[in-house]
Amino acid sequence: MNEIIEKLTTCIEFGKINQKSPFPPSMRGEVGADELTRQALEAGIKPVEILEQGLIPGMNAVGLKFSQGKVFVPEMLMAAKAMGTALVHLKPYFMSGEVKRKGTFIIGTVFGDLHDIGKNLVAMTVEGAGWEVIDLGVDVKIESFLDTLEKYPNGAVGISALLTTTMSNMESVVKLVKERYPLTKVLVGGAPLNTEFSNKIGADFYSRDPQGAVAYLNNLQNC
Amino acid sequence: MKMNMTEWKNSILAHPEKIAVPVMTYPGLQLIGKSVMDMVTIGEVQYHCVKALSAKYPAIGATTLIMDLSVEAEAFGSFINFSENEIPTVSKRLIDSFEQVVNLKIPAIGDGRTKSHLTAARLAADNTTALPVFGGIIGPYSLAGRLYDITEMMTAILIEPEGAHDLLNICTSFLKEYALAFKKAGCNGIVIAEPAAGLLADYQCEEFSSRYVKQIVDFVQDDNFIVVLHNCGNTVSLVESMLGTGAAGFHFGNAVDMCEILPQVPSNRLVFGNLDPAGVIKNGSPEIIKVKTKELLTRTSQYNNFVISSGCDIPPGTKIENIDAFFEAIAEYNKG
Repeated sequence: MNEIIEKLTTCIEFGKINQKSPFPPSMRGEVGADELTRQALEAGIKPVEILEQGLIPGMNAVGLKFSQGKVFVPEMLMAAKAMGTALVHLKPYFMSGEVKRKGTFIIGTVFGDLHDIGKNLVAMTVEGAGWEVIDLGVDVKIESFLDTLEKYPNGAVGISALLTTTMSNMESVVKLVKERYPLTKVLVGGAPLNTEFSNKIGADFYSRDPQGAVAYLNNLQNC
Repeated sequence: MKMNMTEWKNSILAHPEKIAVPVMTYPGLQLIGKSVMDMVTIGEVQYHCVKALSAKYPAIGATTLIMDLSVEAEAFGSFINFSENEIPTVSKRLIDSFEQVVNLKIPAIGDGRTKSHLTAARLAADNTTALPVFGGIIGPYSLAGRLYDITEMMTAILIEPEGAHDLLNICTSFLKEYALAFKKAGCNGIVIAEPAAGLLADYQCEEFSSRYVKQIVDFVQDDNFIVVLHNCGNTVSLVESMLGTGAAGFHFGNAVDMCEILPQVPSNRLVFGNLDPAGVIKNGSPEIIKVKTKELLTRTSQYNNFVISSGCDIPPGTKIENIDAFFEAIAEYNKG
């Protein structure tokens, strides 16, 4: 495999954003995902190869370590930031259609809830897995989910909640999304949730971690 | 009311019957006909809630005041989102660079809603005769996350650790005084809620949370006032770091299996946990709650230092019949 691509994978896995970033200490002073993505494009490597052979494997590697409890939220967020930096360079190719995304994932924290760390982790990881992510932010009203689905009718929806008081708000979102878009898959997640609750409110899937969401979405794509 | 908390702790360790200390204030709102907004803003309402709960559930082992994780950030100047029946939350970060830490003014005790929470503490302590009263404060790392944005605070410990420590020092300075204010109000202890530390690795938790929690413990804990450290994250690998804070008790959320926690804790330190407050206590049926409560008590029966509790604050809107079921299950378990 191309050396730049291999290094890029390593940068994503270990959260090396750019040369200036002091993290990780073992890679201090080295170039990061930002510079390497630019170098890869300048070297004529196809954007799709950069994405599929460089970036996605890096996110998969760190996601697996996260699921196994080998790295924690801070490292996962750094990897996602490195991924985000790399994706900036690929954006024109997504826009032109040269690089195809796996699908669209619309995500937001349910109305009434202002917490975003879980939602951010999932959004960044799903994006890193090759999906287009429409992040609606926090305290997202039902209408906002529905309006976005109107623009992206084939999108899947992710709803996050941290509070026991706001998780019940998810039910009305799921209900209206399913009424208007019966085929749309709805994923839910958040600290107080479980599969039982997800089933009760009519969601299609409860994910306890970002990798679970990625696996479910990738599986949808293969159906 | 002044109480020797070492003796209280020892009586639990020696007592054959299980006591319950659920983190429970919001269910009292139904008993007195008030809203969450009333509870989080008016100290007297909070007091009347816990008073009503203590009267209804005489088996309760201690009175716990509200776990309001926005009040300290508000005292620093953060914007808070309030609504009538939902718990207030911080709506946006107060600072967006660590250079701004030097401009942060450490709040005075009584600023913002700290005054109302301390009023509740004083009333509860003055009027509660047989039970210890625990106040509630946020932990340093969780407070720093509210001031700086929790996502940013997570990565800051890796890329700007010095700045993160600067902010944690400011947070801890305030929290020491706020904890002391609960002690002066007559409380018998505090619960320090440090949920954000549950997202860290053990060595990160040690450096960016436990080290600072220990400062608070050292500042206020004695025979008459104890600290219980609450962390509702996946804490199985964090127990050693939590123990190092010196807190007299530890409170765990439902993300962990108590049977993986209890063997790690010395038998002379109290361990509270961890019935799922939302999935079981709020959303479960009374039958389910009874089954889950007894199951937890049975699984932990060999540990005299275990005190059954909710894994976190019991949410507003929880039916009183569900709380009844929780206490009935404990009574039935104790009868054998």
